Amino acid sequence: MPQQGNQPLPAGYVLNGYRIEKPLSSGGFSIVYLARDESGTPFAIKEYLPSSLPLRTEGHEVHIADDANLSVFRHGLKCFFEEGRALAMISHPNVVRVENFFRANETCYMVMQYVRGRTLQFHIQRNRHEFTEQFIRRIFINLMNGLREVHANKLLHLDIKPANVFISMDGRPVLLDFGAARITLSEEAMKLKPMYTAGFAAPEHYRFHPDELGPWSDIYSVGATIYTCIAGTPPQAGDQREQADHMIPLRTLARQDYSSALYEIVDSCLAIDPLKRPQTAYELQKVLMEEPTAVEARRSGLFETFNKPISKLFSRGG
Amino acid sequence: MRFTIFQDSRQGDRSGNEDRVGYSYSRDVLLLTIADGMGGHMQGEVAAEIAVAEITRRFEQEARHKLRRPFDFLVSAIQSAHRAIVSHAVEHNLLECPRTTCVACVVQGETAYWAHAGDSRLYVLREGALIATTQDHSRVQQLIDAGEITPEMAARHPDRNKIFSCLGGVVPPHISLGHEVKLQVGDTVLLSTDGFWAQIPPTIIASMLRKQPITTLLPALLVEAQRRAQGESDNLSIVAMTWENQSDASVADTQALEDQQFTSSTNSTQHLGPSGNALDDVTDADIERAIAEIQDAIRKVPR
Repeated sequence: MPQQGNQPLPAGYVLNGYRIEKPLSSGGFSIVYLARDESGTPFAIKEYLPSSLPLRTEGHEVHIADDANLSVFRHGLKCFFEEGRALAMISHPNVVRVENFFRANETCYMVMQYVRGRTLQFHIQRNRHEFTEQFIRRIFINLMNGLREVHANKLLHLDIKPANVFISMDGRPVLLDFGAARITLSEEAMKLKPMYTAGFAAPEHYRFHPDELGPWSDIYSVGATIYTCIAGTPPQAGDQREQADHMIPLRTLARQDYSSALYEIVDSCLAIDPLKRPQTAYELQKVLMEEPTAVEARRSGLFETFNKPISKLFSRGG
Repeated sequence: MRFTIFQDSRQGDRSGNEDRVGYSYSRDVLLLTIADGMGGHMQGEVAAEIAVAEITRRFEQEARHKLRRPFDFLVSAIQSAHRAIVSHAVEHNLLECPRTTCVACVVQGETAYWAHAGDSRLYVLREGALIATTQDHSRVQQLIDAGEITPEMAARHPDRNKIFSCLGGVVPPHISLGHEVKLQVGDTVLLSTDGFWAQIPPTIIASMLRKQPITTLLPALLVEAQRRAQGESDNLSIVAMTWENQSDASVADTQALEDQQFTSSTNSTQHLGPSGNALDDVTDADIERAIAEIQDAIRKVPR
C-alpha cells in the first residue's frame, strides 16, 4: 500500500472563523483550501504542511514525532513566513493578495484572496492551440505590472512558472505562490535553501550565490514561461544549458506563427548570461508592448482573434 | 505608564481550578483578563485557558503601539476567543463545547476600557468607593433589575449560577462594553471571579484599599473569601491594577520597556506549543513575532 500522505482538513471544518470547503491543491510544502468566512466570502487558505514529513495522519493537529523533524518543519516554516511577509507588503491586481495570517493546529495558515479561474499551466495543457500572439503579449504585459511591483518591494519571486500564474475568469493574470520568494535585502532570508523548478529557474539560481540573483533571474523564468506557452514544454534546465546548451529553438516548436520579434524577446529572456537578458520587468514589458509589424501580424492570425474576449477563448476551461 | 499589578488564582475547595487570569503590557497599553471556566460543562478550564491565551495573543499582535479603538479590539478579541473555543471543541470532537465567562480590560493613555460576558466582574474603586462595575449577565441580575428580588436574596437564589452569556457554546457571546473611565492616581481596577466577589462586597475592598496597597490587601482577602465559604469555596481569582502617580520614580515605568516588547503573565497550566528544544533555531517566540509582523504588514498596506 502506498504511504498515506498528510490528511487534508475535512470539509466543514471551522478554522479560526473560516469554514473549509475543499482542498484546491497540494504541493510539497502546503495544502491550499477553498474556505469561506462567516459572511460567505470565499478565500484560498494555504496550510503549511510539508509533504515530506508525516505530520497529520488523523485529526486536525499537526504532530511532529521527533526533534529532527521538528527542525526541518520549523526551517520550512521560516520560508512560509518569508512568503507571508513578501505578499503582505504588496497590494496589486496582478499579485495574489494575502488577507490574514495566523497560527492554529500547531502549524500556520495564510489566507489569500480567492481568484476564480485556472492556472496558466491548465490553459497550456488544454488551450495552447488557441494562444495567439495577442493573447500571450497581453497576459505577460499585465503580469509584468505585478512583477514590477514585486521587484519595487525589493522582492524576488524566484519561482515564476505556468503553475504559478493564475488567469482569472476576466482574463487577468495573477502571480501566485511566493513560497520561494526572498526579500533580497534580508540576509536571513538569503541563507534559506533555494527552491526552484527545473526548466524555469535561471542558471545562476542553481548555484545560489545570492549576489548573482536579481530581477534578471525572474526575467529568465518569465522567458521560460512564455517558451512553455508556445512550445508546450519548458526549455532545457538552466544548469544543464550552462554545461551544454541544447535548448531547442522556440520557432521550431511553435505550432502556429508568431512574430520573429516575440521569439527574439523569449530568446533574450532565456540568455544564459544574465547581463544579456532584459534587466528589469519594465524593460521586458516595453518590448512586449511594441506591436509586431503589420505583415507579421497578419501572418500570425492576429486579426482573427483580436476582439475575441478571453472568456470565450477559454470557454472549455471553465 | 506606572501601575502596580496583583494577580492570583486559587483552587478553593474544588478539585481543580477552572479560573484563568492574565495580564500583559507594553510601553503604552495594559491588558487585564479573567475567565471562569464553567463547571457542569466539560473542560471549563480549557475554555478559560483558550480565552485568556487568545485575547492575550490578539493583544500582543495589535497593541504593539496603541490600540486605535480599544472597544473594537475588546469585542473582536473576545469574539475570536469564542471562535477559538468552538474550534477546539470541533477539533477534539467534544460532545459539548466548553464555556467560560470573560472580562477583559485595556488601560491606555490613563483611560480604562472594558468588556465582559458572563458573571465575572470588574470594579473600579476610587477613594473608598465603587465608582464603576460590570453588570452580571446572570439570571439573578435580571431579576434584580426587574425589581423581583433584592441583591441580598440573589446570593441565596437557586438560579444564582445561571448566566445568559458566555464564550464557547452554540450562541455567540453577548458582550457588554464598560464605560471609559479616566483613571486618577490611586484608582484600582479589579477583575474577579464569583468565587471571590460572592464573598467579599466591593464596599469592603474599596474602604480597605484606602489603608493598604493591593499587593498586601488582596492576598489577605483571598484567604478571607475562602474562609467565608466554609469549606465549599469555588475557585477564587483576582487580577487587579492600581494606577500610580505617573511621576513617582519609585514605581517602575513601562517606558523602560523596549519598543514593541511585552511583559505578560498568566496562571496557565497547560503549554500548548511543542516543547523547547536546543536544536531549534525557530522558537515559539520567533513564530509569534513573525506572525505579528506579517499581520502588521497586512494592515499597513492599503488594500
